[in-house]
Amino acid sequence: MSVSGAGSTLRSVLERELGTGALAGGEAGPIEIEPAEPDALAAALRVMGEAGGRARVRGRGTWDGLGNLAPDVDVVLSTRGLYGVTELDTQDGVALVRAGTTLDDLVRTVAPHGWEVPLGAPPEGSVGGALAVAAIGPRRLGQGPPRDCVLGLEVALATGERTRCGGRVVKNVTGFDLAKLYTGSFGCLGVIESAWLRLRPRPESVAGCVAPLRGGADDLALAIEAARRPTARCAALVDPERARAIGLETESAVLLVELAGSGPGVQGDLAWLSSRASASTVDPEAIDALGRSLVEPPPPGGARARLAMLPSSCVRAVRALRESGARLVVHAGLGIVHADWDAAAEAVDAAARIAIAVGAEARFEHLPDEHKRGRDVFGVGADRRAVVARMRALKRRFDPAGVLNPGRFLGHV
Amino acid sequence: MDALIQRLRAVVGEAGCLASDEERFVYECDGLTLEATRPRAVVLPESTDQVRAIVRVCREAGVPFVPRGAGTGLSGGARPVPGCVLIECSRMDRILEVNVADRIAVVQPGLVNAQLSEAVRPHGLFYAPDPSSQQACTIGGNVAENSGGPHTLKYGTTTNHVLAVELVLPDGEVARYGSATGLAEGFDLVGAVVGSEGTLGIVTEVTVRLVPIPEGIATLLAIFPDVVSACRAVGEMIGGGLVPAALEIVDQRTIRAVEDSVYAAGLPRDAGAILIAELDGAACELPPQVARVREASERCGASRVQVAADERERLEFWRARKGAFGAMGRLAPDLYVHDAVVPRAKLPEILEAVCAIGDRYGLKLSNVFHAGDGNLHPNISFDRRDPGELERVLAAGREILETCVRAGGVITGEHGVGVEKRDYMKLVFDDDDLLPMIHLREAFDPDRSCNPGKVIPTTRFCTEADPKARGYDAVPLG
Repeated sequence: MSVSGAGSTLRSVLERELGTGALAGGEAGPIEIEPAEPDALAAALRVMGEAGGRARVRGRGTWDGLGNLAPDVDVVLSTRGLYGVTELDTQDGVALVRAGTTLDDLVRTVAPHGWEVPLGAPPEGSVGGALAVAAIGPRRLGQGPPRDCVLGLEVALATGERTRCGGRVVKNVTGFDLAKLYTGSFGCLGVIESAWLRLRPRPESVAGCVAPLRGGADDLALAIEAARRPTARCAALVDPERARAIGLETESAVLLVELAGSGPGVQGDLAWLSSRASASTVDPEAIDALGRSLVEPPPPGGARARLAMLPSSCVRAVRALRESGARLVVHAGLGIVHADWDAAAEAVDAAARIAIAVGAEARFEHLPDEHKRGRDVFGVGADRRAVVARMRALKRRFDPAGVLNPGRFLGHV
Repeated sequence: MDALIQRLRAVVGEAGCLASDEERFVYECDGLTLEATRPRAVVLPESTDQVRAIVRVCREAGVPFVPRGAGTGLSGGARPVPGCVLIECSRMDRILEVNVADRIAVVQPGLVNAQLSEAVRPHGLFYAPDPSSQQACTIGGNVAENSGGPHTLKYGTTTNHVLAVELVLPDGEVARYGSATGLAEGFDLVGAVVGSEGTLGIVTEVTVRLVPIPEGIATLLAIFPDVVSACRAVGEMIGGGLVPAALEIVDQRTIRAVEDSVYAAGLPRDAGAILIAELDGAACELPPQVARVREASERCGASRVQVAADERERLEFWRARKGAFGAMGRLAPDLYVHDAVVPRAKLPEILEAVCAIGDRYGLKLSNVFHAGDGNLHPNISFDRRDPGELERVLAAGREILETCVRAGGVITGEHGVGVEKRDYMKLVFDDDDLLPMIHLREAFDPDRSCNPGKVIPTTRFCTEADPKARGYDAVPLG
């Protein structure tokens, strides 16, 4: 059944399954469904699979701009209605969270018990969305990748089965590690209903500091050294324009650092930074502002790429990126560079060329639609044929009818 | 001569293919010795190309193949299946690259775990996953099992340290997944491969993350009147926000076995349990953490808390823990090492229940475990020659697993499912839960020729899943 012309049939089948009140939209655009219970979510998927419908899965819309241009869908399936922290074990530091819960709410729930959430997504974004795109924020250095905090998932398959993988315990090899596979899979293999997350103890002490940079290769060496201090959880080299945009008064690029840990540890690393650079303290809110600025789209017509490379390649990449006119945020200790260009046409050429030159994995985080056309925004530079082949094999088995997020991820999977 | 052997010898040479009864006998099981199956041949490849050629020979002959590292696995993950070719990776044991600046290493799968840390120590680095068998087990085996170890609590398991893999897929193609950068685009295929117990392909190269040797280490030994008190102390530490590098508990029966053995560490034989707590990090951070460990231990009834004065004493503390399995040999000729995980807060009640199960079955059950992770290792010492004893061991093992699952736990934390726990998977997962595991397996190996009969139990999908249906004779599958 084709998508066009199938809308009314699909709508009637969905209404029969879910009830008339469960559906919205649909006249000029896709049907909107926001199930309040996982059973309804799974039922909607099953119906779509049977009726040949296609769905775009959405949390709270934080990542709407990310991904390839995709075919029109019949349904936008929102997880916003799956809300709340279902369980919180304050002694073990684990929580079961429904996918539509905002990160902010989760943080507020666990913080009074001495825990924090090691996810780097915007506070208003959903936990499910952050996991689906494997969002990383400015504190990734200390938080680690999102996959590390996912202990288990409850996932509705495209064929309508409700499934669990992993569990609530912090160490687990019971069966294949599907939670890793789902995390960062862009909702192509299933829809996350809930997640068991491993929390972290809130640090005893947190300090932010900022140091002006001279401009040169030494800057990156300093940034890498700073990132390797025991308590560093953010060490980002920020170009002056963005530094000012996030409230820092500077004419030069800066090294923005956040330290978190025991009191003596943080003090020790602060002393080290002061001895190496003219560091001054700054409200750690600057780190949050940096994170927000990297999610917000660039000005119209502009583009942003994320390149991941070995830290030792950063010097070469940063030089080439700056020569191409990009403004940068460089997490040198991690080898991650966010590059903004004013003109997307310059970006598409420069990002691919530089990614290949330094052996980086690269993607466009923001790119105007006209530049996405005919392009894979996740396939910048490197040859990923082996990965895409396996992704397609997985997609065929997990989602044989092609219901979930068609065409949006790497290789237009 | 068997045509298959001839073809394999054309790939790896005469010395690289073992086919006599005596040679194959050595490989009929791994660390799980309860059952054994002799492979049709054992091949010892030295390169990715040879692995690829072996896989192709096997596929053309319609013969299943099973990868194996050092054979230290405890769940039968590397146990041969009838008629299989066992691909033993121990000759692929080189460190291909150490990149100190970026803190990564590229190694072959047959490299012994401990040798990697040894090699990078002069650079101030180490490889964090440290299974108890690290002097013998290989990185490839660790990848297959997602191995942990005592220091998992702070540093994570193998999956947290593997950045990229090269593997020979079951169809004989070579693929590379992941990225040394740690941020690869696309599905997390490395995450899927690590812990897949050699069922998705044969890993031939591994890129791992190295971590800096901490500036300071403090190791404490606390003596408790019983295991439950020691567990409560662990709960207080974790709940209070401490993240030690390791929190290990050894119970009285094990202490006595250790003290009677060559591993004797001078522990009080009347101690109900000992807790080894290791903290690491910046030197200036350690004293307050040491104080918190001491306070929590004393509050929970520790009669003595001792901080290792130097490296010699630290190693002495660890001797009791690391020598425990060796010392078990004094208790009985056979040892069944169990592995399950429970929410940490439930450790005290679960430990009591586990000991009660052992008593009820009249078994010598002792406990050495990663308390900080809630990862239990109930060890049952027995003699399989005694009529009925093995049956009691297995029945008690099942009850232990059921108890752990009822408490919100799982059936394995680091040993893997293999064949040992394949049919216990349904204690944790129902048929729907198993469906995506089957999808994953079949996206890599639709014919189930690579290590068949492991991990996934018989299900309603077994017609497709059963390798017997694909012409492999007598493969035990549920």
